Amino acid sequence: MIPKSIKWRLQLWYGLILVVVLAGFGGTAYQLERNRQFRRIDDELHKRIGIIGNALHGPPPRGQRFNPPPRDDFPDDGPPGRNRRPLRPGDFHLPEQDEHFFDASDPNQFYFRITGRDGVELASSTNQPNKLTEPDSQVSYSQSSHHPNQFAPIFPAPEQSQTKTKPQPAVNFGDYRENIEILPSGEMIWVGCSIAPELKELRRAKLSLLGIGGLILIFGLLGGWWLVSRSLRPISEISSTAVKISAGDLSQRINTVEAESELGQLATVLNSTFARLETAFAQQKQFASDAAHELRTPVSVILTQTQTSLARERDAASYKQTVEACQRAAQRMRKLIESLLALARFDAGQEILKRSPFDFSRTVSDCAELVQPLADERGVKISIEAKPIEIIGDSERLAQVVTNLLTNAIQYNQPDGEVRVKLETQNGLAVLMVADTGAGIAPENLSRVFGRFFRADQARTGSGNAGLGLAICKAIVEAHGGTIEVASAENVGTTFSVRLPAEA
Amino acid sequence: MRILIVEDEPDLLASLAQALREEGYAVDTADNGDDGLFNAEGTDYAAIVLDVMLPGMDGWEVLKRLRKTKKTPVLMLTARDQTRDRVKGLDTGADDYVVKPFDLEEVFARLRSIIRRSANKSTNVIALGDVKVDTAARLVSLKDKPVELTAREFSLVEFLALHRGEVVTRTQLYEHLFDENDTTMSNLLDVHVSNVRKKLGAEFIATRRGHGYCIE
Repeated sequence: MIPKSIKWRLQLWYGLILVVVLAGFGGTAYQLERNRQFRRIDDELHKRIGIIGNALHGPPPRGQRFNPPPRDDFPDDGPPGRNRRPLRPGDFHLPEQDEHFFDASDPNQFYFRITGRDGVELASSTNQPNKLTEPDSQVSYSQSSHHPNQFAPIFPAPEQSQTKTKPQPAVNFGDYRENIEILPSGEMIWVGCSIAPELKELRRAKLSLLGIGGLILIFGLLGGWWLVSRSLRPISEISSTAVKISAGDLSQRINTVEAESELGQLATVLNSTFARLETAFAQQKQFASDAAHELRTPVSVILTQTQTSLARERDAASYKQTVEACQRAAQRMRKLIESLLALARFDAGQEILKRSPFDFSRTVSDCAELVQPLADERGVKISIEAKPIEIIGDSERLAQVVTNLLTNAIQYNQPDGEVRVKLETQNGLAVLMVADTGAGIAPENLSRVFGRFFRADQARTGSGNAGLGLAICKAIVEAHGGTIEVASAENVGTTFSVRLPAEA
Repeated sequence: MRILIVEDEPDLLASLAQALREEGYAVDTADNGDDGLFNAEGTDYAAIVLDVMLPGMDGWEVLKRLRKTKKTPVLMLTARDQTRDRVKGLDTGADDYVVKPFDLEEVFARLRSIIRRSANKSTNVIALGDVKVDTAARLVSLKDKPVELTAREFSLVEFLALHRGEVVTRTQLYEHLFDENDTTMSNLLDVHVSNVRKKLGAEFIATRRGHGYCIE
């Protein structure tokens, strides 16, 4: 079962790879060491076989290392070492100068044995291990060999026996290693030695390889754990920050010390996302708080009016006054709620606009007619200069924009001021300009006029104008793919320009 | 007790003024900051109810300027209940605040509280010998028996009780008992004093000839 944690999974794979690599290297090193040891032994064995062979029937044609045995021991003519009479037990004696090759003091305890064609032992060194003298040693020899074809040279075919055979590969019997040479005459030379020291050394090498490998594995795993933990630490930091943020603390940021790593970059991206979220949340919170604030005053009116009214018996006129005041407050709240809902729908993109072609200039003149009573009341003159322009859009919503702009222009005008309305086409756009001759808007407030709950006079809460009108205008115009702008000069007037795509 | 209300929402102003008058206060009103400050500086009100959001000069500014000349207790009406708004109000010198929308009962209680505090009284009940004046319940008792007083009479007793041991001039009494809507007839005050003496004993209110009245 694979653990779910990335840390553990990385560690598992890392450890697995480390084990495989270490096993490969260790195994190879051990094998090389073993081969080196055995090759040295084999060289020694071959050398001694050669010595025995030479002692039997003279030196090889080349190589003058050994003195040949007396020729008259082998009176036959013909090449040396061939076609001599078979040896009998006791015939062979190791030349004195070669005795040191089978010295008992040698740690390897080299020994030899010569057997005849029939397997009878003809000669042997004194130190040969007893068990190898058993007649069935050949069987154990062949059985212990894992290569059945090694059986063949032990009983060589007649034609092969005519030439000197190649040295047989050496074979291990327990603590001994032996090499055999079968002479053409059928005699076999066994040369062996104890390999106990080598095996001991190999065991030691194996143990130290295992030890070193184990140490490397432990250090590797520890290092890997450290590295993995270190590189995954930003993740835990990211997640703990995310937990705090989801718990509501939007001001939390991930500490990005390692900005250049992949996780550092991720943290930077997340931080900027968190910052945007925080801003959006703050705006939303401000909006909600402003909306609640706007509702407080009308609710206060209703509460104080009704509580005063209910405190004692009143006459009908007094009750009527109370009810009227409550109605005004309720209507103010209704207007506010409608505005808030409209804005919420535009924000969510849920406001469905009825798009149909209509003459925008008609809308403008209708709206002007609608606000005329208000203008008369304030003594404001409205002048309109509009050419018929066909546009596609929601005529009711756009009428709302025009009415709102006109109402503002009248309300924030000076007495006996003027509102100039102009509708024209510019570069395929319908451009509506509404200019007043009011006090103008302070430059620092110009960028905020389309903001929610912005009022030129922050305190005019009693006017019933929550400061959402221009925000709604902007939402409507932008939903039509248009733009709305404001330009103002203090004590000269303010001009709002609405640009809408016109029907060509 | 004469009180000034500064509030720009006309319906709210009207109902607050009516409610406080019915509580026995003399009430002056102003619907903007400038008028409010002018009134507050010109008259010794028992307390001022001041809205924060006002056209022209806002409530903070009115309070700041008023504090340069007067220590009149001020109850702020605020639509924002965030801590920083409250802290700002209290730091600027407001004595208390009420968050909109409020219950009238709360406004009454807080007004009584700041008026009491400004007169250095810590309880609603002022004991004057046999007479006890409960400014919260607006009740007066003589030897533990309740005494019926009109709202004006109660205000007279309350004002004198809050200034116990001091000589209160007739002008001060006029200012506290009658607002700008009342036609101040000088003998009306004498009528009230005489009625109180009938109900609570002739010795209750002492006359300092040429100065005014006093409760020992």
